[in-house]
Amino acid sequence: MRVLMNTGRSIRQGSYVERKNSQAYYDEASACRMHPVDMMDLGVEPGEHVRATGPAGSVVLHVLPADGVQRGEVFVTLGPYANHLVDAETRGTGMPDFKSTSIDLEPTGEDIATVAMLMEACGGVQYRGRDLE
Amino acid sequence: MKVVDVVCPFCGCLCDDLVVEVCDEKVVKVENGCTLASEKFLGDHRLQSPILREGFGWREIGYEEAISVAADILLAADLPLLYGWSGTHGEAQSVGVHLAEVLGGVIDNTSTVCHGPSILAIQEVGHPGCTLGQVKNRADVVVYWGANAIEAHPRHMSRYTTFTQGFFVKDAHLARTVIVVDTRRTETAEIADEFVQVEAGYDYEILSALRAIVRGREDVISGAVGGVAKTQLIRVAEICKRAKFGAIFFGLGLTMSAGKHKNIRNAIELVEELNRHTKWTISPMRGHWNVYGSNEVFTWISGYPFAVDFSRGIAFYNPGETTSVDILRRGECDACLVVGSDPGAHLPRACAAHLAKIPTIQLDPHVNATTHLATLQIPVAVSGIDAEGTAYRMDGVPIRVQKLVETKFPDDTEVLSAIYRRVREVKGQ
Ligand code: SF4
Repeated sequence: MRVLMNTGRSIRQGSYVERKNSQAYYDEASACRMHPVDMMDLGVEPGEHVRATGPAGSVVLHVLPADGVQRGEVFVTLGPYANHLVDAETRGTGMPDFKSTSIDLEPTGEDIATVAMLMEACGGVQYRGRDLE
Repeated sequence: MKVVDVVCPFCGCLCDDLVVEVCDEKVVKVENGCTLASEKFLGDHRLQSPILREGFGWREIGYEEAISVAADILLAADLPLLYGWSGTHGEAQSVGVHLAEVLGGVIDNTSTVCHGPSILAIQEVGHPGCTLGQVKNRADVVVYWGANAIEAHPRHMSRYTTFTQGFFVKDAHLARTVIVVDTRRTETAEIADEFVQVEAGYDYEILSALRAIVRGREDVISGAVGGVAKTQLIRVAEICKRAKFGAIFFGLGLTMSAGKHKNIRNAIELVEELNRHTKWTISPMRGHWNVYGSNEVFTWISGYPFAVDFSRGIAFYNPGETTSVDILRRGECDACLVVGSDPGAHLPRACAAHLAKIPTIQLDPHVNATTHLATLQIPVAVSGIDAEGTAYRMDGVPIRVQKLVETKFPDDTEVLSAIYRRVREVKGQ
């Protein structure tokens, strides 16, 4: 299913912004909020996983129903999961298309990567120190 | 010990009415703040010492070694990028600009991926803005456009608009009309008197339609624009024209969606149109507590608010070319210093991949996404908790954030000044 991805803040994303390696941040930043009718069309229940593929790559998210989101759109809080999909082209403005990226969704049984795993996929090295949480 | 009038260093509201209780050099209680403030003051998840990446592992090092490694990395680079700055105080931002100049690098702040387009629009057509105090005391119509204040700036409505008494607006909740324009029915939309739900990507057209209606040319509008019925647009335009004092606050819903800076230009021009009838102002909802400060500090030193390139020996500014996302996408910088920000989480994947490829130094109190990309992280004190300095509220009012507790961590200014001194020493300056 092709949808338009919108990104932005949420109070939970903001609350855990200084703990990006915590379970709570992982849950919030990897949530894909969508209209319940679109969820039915896609054949997914709340909490189930989808593989999202955008111009920059692909990432696994979990879905949550949200009445406020229009059909054909999804909302993912700003962060490393959404940014795994957004292209770095800015069309001469310096600003990527954070709120207007078309992505494809398909149901999947795959696991959701942690923030550290996503950064490792970008070429980084996971820090596993005692200060992680 | 109770400390009053504490400033919250989280979002651009920079609320200065918090009461914080400190016990044994630790914040134990926060009053008046929102959820975000409580997390900020009470959370204690600091990285305890500088860490240096070695192969596929990490080693804890001392501050002296960290500063010398950082200076060496920056000195060895042809084009270092100094990125972030919205999460630190003005004094550190100032050292950052001087450091970029002496290195011949690029310095850019996070407005490049938030209100950079707003700045471009303001440079085109000006900024009919005002302080939040004016809005609080006068505004009877408030518009939130592409901004979800309740989640991103939780006290904006209770301190400055909808729910607060003003000098000329006594019965605030009843006296103020709130209009929310958004693609999503957000929590902010739920409490609006008028919610205008737009189809994604149609803000520009809707702004143009409103301008036409305010000009008396509703005949040129079709039955619906961008998913909004003409009747609603006419109603909104009428509310705006009847206002005694109106204020538009816009968020990333305008700067990040199709049209970007042209959306903001159109919104400013709508305000110009409305000012032929009554008094209107427009202001960006600045996100990070001192992102506005980074624009101020960069401008007073270099002449430009963000994306300043010193590689030519002079300050050069060309958004789209000297902006961080573009520099990182093109793989142009060969080292990066990150201060008070998390580009690993907040820039597109290709940018994170380049940060992992080059030596990246991060000054940040916490382990974040960028930590996993970095070569070196130096933990610093948190401005507003264990470091003091100057910040600018979203309306440009400078406010000093306090140091509430003693700390073992140096602050951003101290670490940056030490790096700056070392760089100049090596350069023989
Ligand atoms: S609204 Fe912003 S500045 Fe005010 S208490 Fe909440 S996070 Fe802090």
